Amino acid sequence: MSKRVTSGSELVISGISRAFGAVQALDRFSLTIAPGELVCLLGPSGCGKTTALRIVAGLEKSDAGTVMIDGEDLLAKDANQRDIGMVFQSYSLFPNMTVAENIAYGLRVRKKSKEQINKRVAEMLELVSLQSKMNSFPHQLSGGQQQRVALARALAIEPRVLLLDEPLSALDAQVRTQIRDEIRRIQIESGTTTLFVTHDQEEAMAISDRVGVMQHGRLEQIDTPNTLYNKPETTFVAGFVGITNYIPSVADSKNEVQVLGQVLEISEHSSVVKKGEEVRALVRPESIHVEKASHGAKIITKSFLGPMTRVGVDAGLAELIYAEMSSKEAKKFDTGDHVKISITTEMVMVESV
Amino acid sequence: MSLTNTVPESEKTRELGNSRRKFQFPFPLLPFFLFVGFFLVWPLSKVLIASLKSNNESWTFSNYTPLFHGIYFHAFVTSIRIGVVTALLGALIGALFAYVIDAYAGPRLTSILDSIAAVFANSGGVPLAFTFLASFGANAGLIKLLKSLGWDLYAEGFSIFSFTGICAVYIFFQAPLMVLVFKPALSGLRKEWKEANTSLGGSPWTYIRRVAIPILFPSFIGSFLLLFAGGFSAYATARALTVGNVPLIPLIIGDLINGNVISDKTHLGASLAIGAIAIAAVAMSGYVWAQRKSSQWRR
Amino acid sequence: MKINLSKYSTIGLVSLLSLIIFVIPYSASLEYSLRGKFGKGHDLTNYLWIFHQEGFLSHLSLSLELGLLAGLLNLVLMVPTATFLHLSLQRYKSLVDFICILPLMIPVVSLAVGAEYAMPSFLQNSQMELVFFFVILALPFTFRVLDSALSAIPLKTLVEASRSLGASWPATIMRVIVPAAKGGISSAFFLSFALGIGEYTITSLLHWDTFTTWTVDISQQNVLGSIALSTFSFLFAIALLVTIALVSSNRKKKQKELGETS
Repeated sequence: MSKRVTSGSELVISGISRAFGAVQALDRFSLTIAPGELVCLLGPSGCGKTTALRIVAGLEKSDAGTVMIDGEDLLAKDANQRDIGMVFQSYSLFPNMTVAENIAYGLRVRKKSKEQINKRVAEMLELVSLQSKMNSFPHQLSGGQQQRVALARALAIEPRVLLLDEPLSALDAQVRTQIRDEIRRIQIESGTTTLFVTHDQEEAMAISDRVGVMQHGRLEQIDTPNTLYNKPETTFVAGFVGITNYIPSVADSKNEVQVLGQVLEISEHSSVVKKGEEVRALVRPESIHVEKASHGAKIITKSFLGPMTRVGVDAGLAELIYAEMSSKEAKKFDTGDHVKISITTEMVMVESV
Repeated sequence: MSLTNTVPESEKTRELGNSRRKFQFPFPLLPFFLFVGFFLVWPLSKVLIASLKSNNESWTFSNYTPLFHGIYFHAFVTSIRIGVVTALLGALIGALFAYVIDAYAGPRLTSILDSIAAVFANSGGVPLAFTFLASFGANAGLIKLLKSLGWDLYAEGFSIFSFTGICAVYIFFQAPLMVLVFKPALSGLRKEWKEANTSLGGSPWTYIRRVAIPILFPSFIGSFLLLFAGGFSAYATARALTVGNVPLIPLIIGDLINGNVISDKTHLGASLAIGAIAIAAVAMSGYVWAQRKSSQWRR
Repeated sequence: MKINLSKYSTIGLVSLLSLIIFVIPYSASLEYSLRGKFGKGHDLTNYLWIFHQEGFLSHLSLSLELGLLAGLLNLVLMVPTATFLHLSLQRYKSLVDFICILPLMIPVVSLAVGAEYAMPSFLQNSQMELVFFFVILALPFTFRVLDSALSAIPLKTLVEASRSLGASWPATIMRVIVPAAKGGISSAFFLSFALGIGEYTITSLLHWDTFTTWTVDISQQNVLGSIALSTFSFLFAIALLVTIALVSSNRKKKQKELGETS
């Protein structure tokens, strides 16, 4: 496999805003992506992530702010002068052209010589392992193959920045992880600075150098997947990334909270609470310990997840409390068993009800 | 590591499963096939047989000889010319309308305009002809108005009963028909193609030339052929408008079966009818090709 | 700014074109039809003229009856056909598609010649002959409408649910499919109904005398009156179809809203 490393560009987005009527899709949004880095924008639909990407691409206008690539003002350029590669959700391949013609499109527009085009197309086909499909039409390809061609087409022009707009959302679950890993491999290989937009947190965590979680047109937190999961800075991030139990609790003071009968410290970034206030504590399933008991809480559901198993426990609260343990450990429990649950961390995040 | 072989192709396997199944007669479709067989296929095959019979019931091709010269040949040429001219004008005007509706009208306005187009497209016939007599007849307000403005259409040789007049009238159902049949193809153009073109560095003109026109071409041809068939064989409008001074194939066939002409020419009526079908069949096969081509890309 | 300018100039150009091509002639004929006696003033004389003609009611009721029968027969034939094409018999879809486009391509006069040769005499003497041919002529329009209406609903799931709950095929079609695809089915009905009322070619060539052929005959006596009649029928058809379109688009909107809140 040919290794080619292009020196990536730095993308600096500062303070862009965009309103659609009364809806503020983007609110002074800023983000810097280092050369060769892959950053994911993650958030629920309508959080502004796609708008941000489309403004960088020039497909949408911004009301305020700037976008720079390597110090050069991008917004001053027309969309077709920006040298940006873009991969769409689906159906973006030109249906009247073969795979090779699709990949060659950007190069033909740039009036490259025939030899240059053929050489580059061959390289790209090799990169996405679709040499055998070079003369096929898009409708003859599977969804996953189509997206690989779309990626090859976007990279063929050696873009300064690559933008991916939910490129996996139209694919089957199985294909999705394969293409996801393939995108990451190719991105590292080409060293292209990349902005990836998705609403799927697992996808974002798996593929990115850094993940930016967005809500209401603003960046809530941007960090490595690891930090984001273990040290969320807002309750929204904690709730959106990974699975979380929201356990009704009562604050003992402004620093301590009583959760399931245990007194725990309130972590920073929590809502500000006062003594006696009813709050919800955010506890990860792997932080909940389950042991056998003769009475009390009861296991209602048990889901096998491979190496891990998740059980749902009825502890007399409105919702089940989920705990995760190794599947080996889980053999000891069955649905209907009475159990005692406890929290294994000393610090929890709480939010006001 | 290559992923080529591991990508599951669920659709392909489903197709295989289908083709392996044994042929089974589609009984639920039997009523449809019987109906179409009796009221469409059977009458047309009777015409074909009649066109190949002489007056004493023996087989012959002689009924077809008049089609290739004289007045009947001339009538075929005229009808084809009318078909081509009105289909071309109708297709261009209709495509423009369809484009504007597709690009700028909201869903509500679109459904209203669709309905209006449907009425116009199906109004080819007697009401249309009357409307035109009202608008363009020598006595019509519009003609008088133009005359008072110094443009005397009739003095320039215009007549609603002429070739040009018929062409003008036909546009009124051809263009709306084009809107109906061509707009789905326009709506099938995806926003992503335009945006992909832009991000790859193409101009709007590149998009039109390399993407939009090639994709729409089969649909345009198919629609044009459909319009041609309609214009070529339109009967009611022509009957109401012409007083026999423009020879058109549908009118001649109609006269033959109405017995307006000497009745030992019934076999000639059959061969003319088959001739007309043959021309429609040429348009039809082009239409089928275009349909296949354009539905292949639409997925 | 640049984009907006070109947008408005396109809309403007096309509006102007449609004004010249469509609005002017039709308003001219409207004006013409409103002229009073001896071309003086404007009133409804011409519109009322038709009512006083001998045979008005009998011809109109015959045409309405034929249109109604054609509309109903069309549904009885095509709703089950289209349903099965969407379910288990998809591979016949392109064949049926092809057959249904034939009546639009094949010259109607040729079909009329064939009808003269092929129809048994009991049918030639029955007005059902016309109804059957109206159904054939309406196929290109009704099949397309039904086909897209059925594509828009989750037909397979609905049918499987109904069948697994023990409903027969006729009950499934009448109670599940017809209500679910009401919009498309009613426009299919009205399309064939309208075609049945306005059809001229095959009617006159098979020597039937319906409202359409009758109007053509009596129009020799009063050109203004016949123009008034066609203007009226034209406006009426537009009003009818626009109403159907608005009602069904409203319904769709409502359904969508319901779907979103649930």
